[in-house]
Order: sequence, then structure tokens, then C-alpha cells
Amino acid sequence: MTSGDTQWPRYQVFHQEGPDRPHVNSGSVHATDEEMALQNARDVFVRRPDCVSLWAVLATDIHSLTAEELEREGLPESKNEDGDAQTYQVFLKKTHSGSHGHVGAIQATSPAAALAAAVANYGSQGGIVWWVVSDTSIVRTDPGEIDSLFQSAMSKPYRSQSFYHTVTLMRRLREKKGIRE
Amino acid sequence: MSSDPDRSIAEYLIGIGDDELILAHRDSEWTGHAPILEEDIAFANIALDEMGHAAAWYRLAGELQGQSAETYPDELVFARKPDEFRNIQMVELPNGDWAFSLMRQYLFDSLETVRLKALVESDWDPLADTAAKIRPEELYHLRHTKAWVRRLGLGTEESNQRMQNALDELYPYALQPFSTSGNEFSALPDIKSLRQAWKAEIQPLLAESNLNIPSVTDSPVRSREEHTSYLPMLIEEMQMVARTETEAQW
Repeated sequence: MTSGDTQWPRYQVFHQEGPDRPHVNSGSVHATDEEMALQNARDVFVRRPDCVSLWAVLATDIHSLTAEELEREGLPESKNEDGDAQTYQVFLKKTHSGSHGHVGAIQATSPAAALAAAVANYGSQGGIVWWVVSDTSIVRTDPGEIDSLFQSAMSKPYRSQSFYHTVTLMRRLREKKGIRE
Repeated sequence: MSSDPDRSIAEYLIGIGDDELILAHRDSEWTGHAPILEEDIAFANIALDEMGHAAAWYRLAGELQGQSAETYPDELVFARKPDEFRNIQMVELPNGDWAFSLMRQYLFDSLETVRLKALVESDWDPLADTAAKIRPEELYHLRHTKAWVRRLGLGTEESNQRMQNALDELYPYALQPFSTSGNEFSALPDIKSLRQAWKAEIQPLLAESNLNIPSVTDSPVRSREEHTSYLPMLIEEMQMVARTETEAQW
């Protein structure tokens, strides 16, 4: 990809570290479709043995509300309340340095109504940014695929840079050759 | 193959280890150049996995010959001359376009997957254990490359054509592992059934991806001792630093 306008669509990725843990935002990947989104999510974010499930959501399918917007403008207006209620998943960012974590699901008839319900239900925990996503917009890894997707990361030792003693080695080689650092 | 079983099995392991090593080197040449950042990361990761598999096979080969598991892999990688490598020619060919590299990785992953499935059943336990350890990674590679083969095969006219060209060029080379007359060691997989399993693995996906398997039935090269002129250049680059700094530990 050489220019911005040919960039593939962006998906937000959420990973789960254990069966009883919430899905937490890991970052985003570009992908042409849902299958590739999960694949890229796995390749980019699952290098350590701590993932049992991945969700990906097209970034444009995320409806967002910040605490500042809430204070300045109040809750977004719901234009169409006549639709059928559907499930929205709610993600909340609680601290500036933290990531969006999944906090629960609510029923609502529109994204705006979902945001209002998210603030009402999950605002008391303190929030900086609320995200709501229609449940049908989330693509999830299949529990039956845990082995083929994540098992290989389990057997990989994670090593920090210092394990390889590269700095010491390079210093020794430089000294030997009389190269100044 | 030698008539000494340990030696023959060690030769076999060095051969498949060399396949992994040389392919890892070619794959690593894509680092920073893959078509999109996410794939760049994924392909570099696959290259690292293959290099890890090479090390595992080399250690086993060393074990059979009473060599140190610590130093033997490094000796094989950094101290051999190009004509001492025993990889199949497919993995030493230059990268070509993305379709070529991707198709090669797919053909290799499908081969390695069926080979590992057979090796897991080996009656030599250390070999079966190593195969079992490597297998999940290879299943993931196969999943990754299959998705790309399908996507590019069914993509545009151009992507389909490039994939078909890559398949036409690579397929005869992919037959090389099956071109030997087989082996008589129960620890190693039977070549004929391996070939059948491999065909059964690739046929449905390639058909589904609108790609035609060439009608050629034999590899242009049989012996793992034969190499193209591309290999010496690759080895020179791979060994350059190690030869310059012989005291360095890797």
C-alpha cells in the first residue's frame, strides 16, 4: 500500500487472556474482510501464550462517546427508536492509559440508545470513553479453532532482549576491533 | 542413503532441516517489503518458526551422531559449503513476486503438514515427539497460506494469473521430495503414501481457488545434492557475519 487512500479497512481487535477474563482492546489491524481481520489480529497481537479468543470489529461499526462529549453535549439524540431491540456489546475505557475492556451487553433499538444505556449502566464505574457495537458486527474466533490459532504460541518461550546478551557481545567485538562506541 | 540406519536418519533430518532453513531465509527477505504491514509481521513470524523447526531437526540429527545439541545446529548452518546443503531446490529459488513466495510457502506448508502427521507416528520416540511439538505451528502456517491462496486465486484476473504462473513454475519442484525411491527405515514415513496424502491435501483447495495443477508428474531434479546457482549466493549472505566474527555466540 503506497498511499492512504488505498489502505484497507481498519478493524479494532479485542483479545481475551482467559475464559473468565473480559475481552480487552489490543489495537487495530487492516484487512479486506472478516476472515483476514481475525488472521491479522492473531499474527500481530498473539505472540505470547495468553490468548483464548479474539474479536474483531470494523472500526466504522463502533459507536463512541467520550466523557467530554457527554459533559458538553449530553447524551446523543436517538433519531429512530422504532427499530427492533438488538444486542449491543459495551466496551469501556476507564483510565487514560488503559484500553477499552468489555463490560457487558445491553438491548437497545439504536446505537444512540445503546450509548445512553451504556452510560446509565456502566457510567458509575467511571468512564472516559464508551464504545457500543452491535453484536452482529463482531466477528469472533471459533472456540473449536483454539488449537490451530493459539496453541503454537503456548509452546513458545517468551524471551526479553536481555536474554541474548547482544549489547555485551557487540561491545566485546567493538573493543576487539578498536571501534569506539 | 547410507546403510547405517542412524546415519541415514540423520541425513534425512538434515535434509528436511535444510528445507526449513533455506525457506526461512528466503521468507525473511520479505521483511519490510511484504504487501501490507500485517502480512509483513505474519510472514516474518512464519520465517522464524521455520528456522526454529530447522534447529529442532538439526539437534535430532546431532543426537544420532553423538554431536552436541548446543553447537551442532550452528555448525551445520554457518560452517557448511553450499554444495553440502541438502535442501530441495524449490526453497532456494529467488522470491519472485508475492504470488510466487506465497504459493511456495503454501506448497511447503502442505508438504510439511502431511510429513509431520506421518512423523508423529514414527517408532523412534524423539522424532515423534519433535514432530508433535512442531505440528501446531505448521497447522497455523497452513491455515494462513490457504486463506491467501484462496483469496488470490479467486481475487482478480491478475491475481489468479499470477498464482497460476507461480503454481506452474513451482509444482514440478514441489515433487522433488517424492522423487526418491523411498526408504527402508520404519522410523521414517513411506514416500508413496506421503505423496498421496499431499495430493489429497492440495487438490481440493487449488480446485476451489480456480487454480489448475500442472499435468507434470515428475520433478526435474531428484537428488538433494543438486542445487541451482542461486544457493551459493544465499549461503554466502547467510554466513557472512558468522564468518567475519567467528567468536560470536548466536
